Amino acid sequence: MLTMNNLSKVYRTHMIETHALRGFEIHVKEGEFVTVTGPSGSGKTSFLNIAGLLEVFTSGEYFLDGVDVKNLDDNARSKLRNEKLGFIFQGFNLIPDLNLFDNVDVPLRYRGYNSKERKDRIEHALEQVGLASRMKHYPAELSGGQQQRVAIARALAGSPRLLLADEPTGNLDTQMARSVMELLEDINSKGTTILMVTHDPELALRSQRNVHIIDGQVSDLVRVTSSLVAA
Amino acid sequence: MFNYYLKLGIRNLRRNPILTALMVITLAVGVAASMSTLTILHVMSNDPIPEKSARLLVPIIDSASLSGYVPGERTERQLMNYTDTKNMMNMNIGADRTAIYSIRTYTQSSDPSLGLVNAAGIATTASYFKMFDVPFKYGSAWSVDDENKTAKVLVLSSPASEKYFGQANPVGQTLRMGNDDYQVIGVLANWNPLPHYPNLVQGGDHFVGEDDFYVPFATAIALKLGATGDVWCSYATPKPGVEGLMDSECVWLQFWIEASSTAQIPQIKEQLDAYVNEQRKLGRIPRHEKNELLDVNDWMEYLQIVGNDNKISTWLAFGFLALCLVNTIGLLLAKFSSRAPEVGVRRALGASQAEIFKQFITEAAVLGVVGGIVGLLLSCACLWVISLQTKQMAVIAHMDGEMLIVTFVISICASVLAGLLPTWRACQVTPAIQLKSQ
Repeated sequence: MLTMNNLSKVYRTHMIETHALRGFEIHVKEGEFVTVTGPSGSGKTSFLNIAGLLEVFTSGEYFLDGVDVKNLDDNARSKLRNEKLGFIFQGFNLIPDLNLFDNVDVPLRYRGYNSKERKDRIEHALEQVGLASRMKHYPAELSGGQQQRVAIARALAGSPRLLLADEPTGNLDTQMARSVMELLEDINSKGTTILMVTHDPELALRSQRNVHIIDGQVSDLVRVTSSLVAA
Repeated sequence: MFNYYLKLGIRNLRRNPILTALMVITLAVGVAASMSTLTILHVMSNDPIPEKSARLLVPIIDSASLSGYVPGERTERQLMNYTDTKNMMNMNIGADRTAIYSIRTYTQSSDPSLGLVNAAGIATTASYFKMFDVPFKYGSAWSVDDENKTAKVLVLSSPASEKYFGQANPVGQTLRMGNDDYQVIGVLANWNPLPHYPNLVQGGDHFVGEDDFYVPFATAIALKLGATGDVWCSYATPKPGVEGLMDSECVWLQFWIEASSTAQIPQIKEQLDAYVNEQRKLGRIPRHEKNELLDVNDWMEYLQIVGNDNKISTWLAFGFLALCLVNTIGLLLAKFSSRAPEVGVRRALGASQAEIFKQFITEAAVLGVVGGIVGLLLSCACLWVISLQTKQMAVIAHMDGEMLIVTFVISICASVLAGLLPTWRACQVTPAIQLKSQ
């Protein structure tokens, strides 16, 4: 599903070069639920941005669902992002002026679906997260947990192959976090690949595989799988 | 997607009404200032007969004496003397020709209650009505036969007809002009081209008023009806009356030639040059200046119907619009910058830079439409205030359909232009930074 080989990301200013990722290797199989952990500044966000085609990498290779993304232009990257990826952010990132229906509608508009298909997908996605009855509400009228559910519905509406989640429970209390996590696990159980950055070791333990990043590289020291934990 | 962006544009304008109102007012004031002056310029420089203006020609011959002659200086004498007029009327030059001079006389209808009415009109040929596409309400123009017989016939303008004869068809009635009775043979439909291009030099105000009557040129000459327009004499002062003018080299007649097509114009020019050379051999036209043929628009330009002050005012107004645009750019930059998080989200969800560009430029265009509507209302208000100033402005200062469309086009173009930089800036938003910073 996602393969990065010897990938590096260097941020350059005229004074200094910062190596956010170096020799970065990762292979995520279809249907996996992988968590990514690491200390602050380790390169987790850079990795997620590159994985989400929001940033370009400096060198190496990146294949997303078999597509070499290195030389794609902005249009092609945007199309690929729209068709293959779903995003869930720590801060929800809903558009405050749009109601839930219109928020979930955003990625579908760029996909070019007709109005009936968009409506069906939006209603189905909001049903999946238990918010179908509130589709005319605005984000500000919802709790944090509900907003994150809307963000998940928005990510799911386009039936992405890979869901990228950046600390999706970071702004939620324990109960809401558990509920969101359960939802993600449910989504994963239906076949969607999930790659989730988290600081929470408990959540990392709940995933099928954890990748730990230190100094821009995947660390060999810590690799946790749910089977090992169970053992 | 256009409908989607349109909906978003309208929604986003409503989101911050104060900022939106500021932008709309800034744009509308600029549009109103430029459109008010442009409308006046448009009416003043309007092509009054676009379908044939390129074929209606005024010949310019410098037939003045050598007194005060500066070689190469363009003549300021735009009229023609009687000798050249008569000769050229008889030449086979162009498809048609006409001569005009202005007359002012007392008139009296059969209605004694009206008394004597001072009326202004022109003496011209029957071809005048055909050349300038003059429409008739009743009757028709006189015939060549009438001209040959110097018949006492006349054509009235529509307002003059109503003044003398009320709403009735006056064809066949008589009107006393000076010492003679003239039979009314036609009444014009409403015809008042702006500017009054057939008789710009002699006809008084270029925009206000219209000729009351039209009499045959030959009849006017035969009856010695005096010319009331401009007369320029560089030779000896002529004898009094129209007879004196006819015998002199003074210029006092407006002459027009109609070409059958623009392709005929070079031939007409050759004929004109040949005629002038021939006259020189006869000892006339001592100045060796280039003869000219000016079409309707060149003629109006030559006479500077639109003064330089009008043009400068228009440029200044557009400068003001540019200033308003700079302000709008600033306001749009502020507005669009505050939307960087939204741009980040949309980019993450699959919007390309091109889609972001389309969305924001559509929003700028929506602003242009609203600014255009408000600008149009302001323009109409400005024109109304201007029209109260003078009689001429009352005629000129009005908005027509063409200018209405131009107002909207200018407003939308201006707002799109103002939106380019803010939109480009919005497209440069780095989604990763925006998504993390929220």
